[in-house]
Amino acid sequence: MSDAVDDTDMTDTATDDPVDATADASTDEGAGEELPPHRAAPRSGRLDSDARQGTPYTESQVIMPTVKVVAPFAFTFGLFITFHGSGSPGGGFQGGAIMAAVVFMIAFAFGIESTRDWLANTVVVALAVGGALAFAGIGLVPVALGGAFLQYDLLPIPILDPVKYGMEGVEVIGIAPIVAGVLMGLFFLLANGFATENGGFGNGSLDEDGSLDEDGSLDGESADAGGDR
Amino acid sequence: MTGALSLAGGSAAAVPASAGPLSAAPVVAQVTAIEASLLAFVVLTALATAFARDVLAAVIVFGAYSLGMAALYTFYRAPDVALTEAAISAGVTTVLLLLTLAKTTRIDHEAAFESVNLPAAGAAGFLFAGLLLTMGDIPAIGSPDAPVWSNPDVTQWYLAETYAQTHVENTVMAVLAAFRGFDTFGEAVVVFAGGIAALLVLHREVFA
Repeated sequence: MSDAVDDTDMTDTATDDPVDATADASTDEGAGEELPPHRAAPRSGRLDSDARQGTPYTESQVIMPTVKVVAPFAFTFGLFITFHGSGSPGGGFQGGAIMAAVVFMIAFAFGIESTRDWLANTVVVALAVGGALAFAGIGLVPVALGGAFLQYDLLPIPILDPVKYGMEGVEVIGIAPIVAGVLMGLFFLLANGFATENGGFGNGSLDEDGSLDEDGSLDGESADAGGDR
Repeated sequence: MTGALSLAGGSAAAVPASAGPLSAAPVVAQVTAIEASLLAFVVLTALATAFARDVLAAVIVFGAYSLGMAALYTFYRAPDVALTEAAISAGVTTVLLLLTLAKTTRIDHEAAFESVNLPAAGAAGFLFAGLLLTMGDIPAIGSPDAPVWSNPDVTQWYLAETYAQTHVENTVMAVLAAFRGFDTFGEAVVVFAGGIAALLVLHREVFA
């Protein structure tokens, strides 16, 4: 996230970053096009060109400490919103989204790739799949006991009130993990972009079989839609 | 246009959600200064989103629009909707759109704003005028006579029965998780399927 946003910002303010200047010159992607004066020199070319994607993640002295301070509180707030949904505004959906946003924030500050390594694919998938299975399980237990789907008062919960804690269970171990897992997954997916042989995004020149032909047409459509907006 | 539509929806949705702890019927409110400035902010940011030529500017202004909508929902005592709007629209959607922009080409534009497409503006204006005509029949914001609030079979029934039947205080959550639990299960599965669909569309096999 951070490198991406840095790039888009810097296209406006035409900085003189020596690393990018040399790298862009070597790939000379888009060098033949006419560019407005403020973009003519060092930073040109697509944001996903090798030069830009190869740009090392730059640390920010402002963002990193801020995120270090804010992230625990934001995550706790997400947990509170999730767990306290029965007595105050909020619930699993909102809390899960806030907890996923904390991960986005961390990726902002410490780089998407390192966050991706830190938060393995297993965790993301386990959250989403586990949440869906937990929700279905809570719904199906009363069915197994002869009731209706999600009939909370049949849940075999000792001591505690089965209706209230059944609903809490749906919110806390069902909806919140699904939302958090899927949102984190979308974030990492979009950071990766479209999967092609080159690992690029939108190069439709790879025509070795039918599926890749289809890729090219898909890319063209999406690029057109983006241009129209 | 979207701004106007969302506003109408927002004020309608605000009334039942305000119900929880405040059992007294809300007084018919005049438009306060805060409310008026929030409304103006939301309309301006919605117009800026539609007319901004640069996609990055449009995405950022769209985030500001969502933040204004979240504040407006809070002001109209719909905190559940406000939380969702702030977390999903202002936060997550903005980040995902920015990520997508970083993966595509950003075109430099001479003009800051889109030129107005006259047929589209005519169609939008026509629809807007039609919607304005219905404004006279919409109950005032916070009116105790509004059908969505005074309806004894739906809103008032849920407010009266929620705690007795589900043992939780938040009526919104009780409706979502208990009274309409099966619908919520469907929605959760839709979210899950959305993640799978994104994997398929982007030709990936792993999320991270």
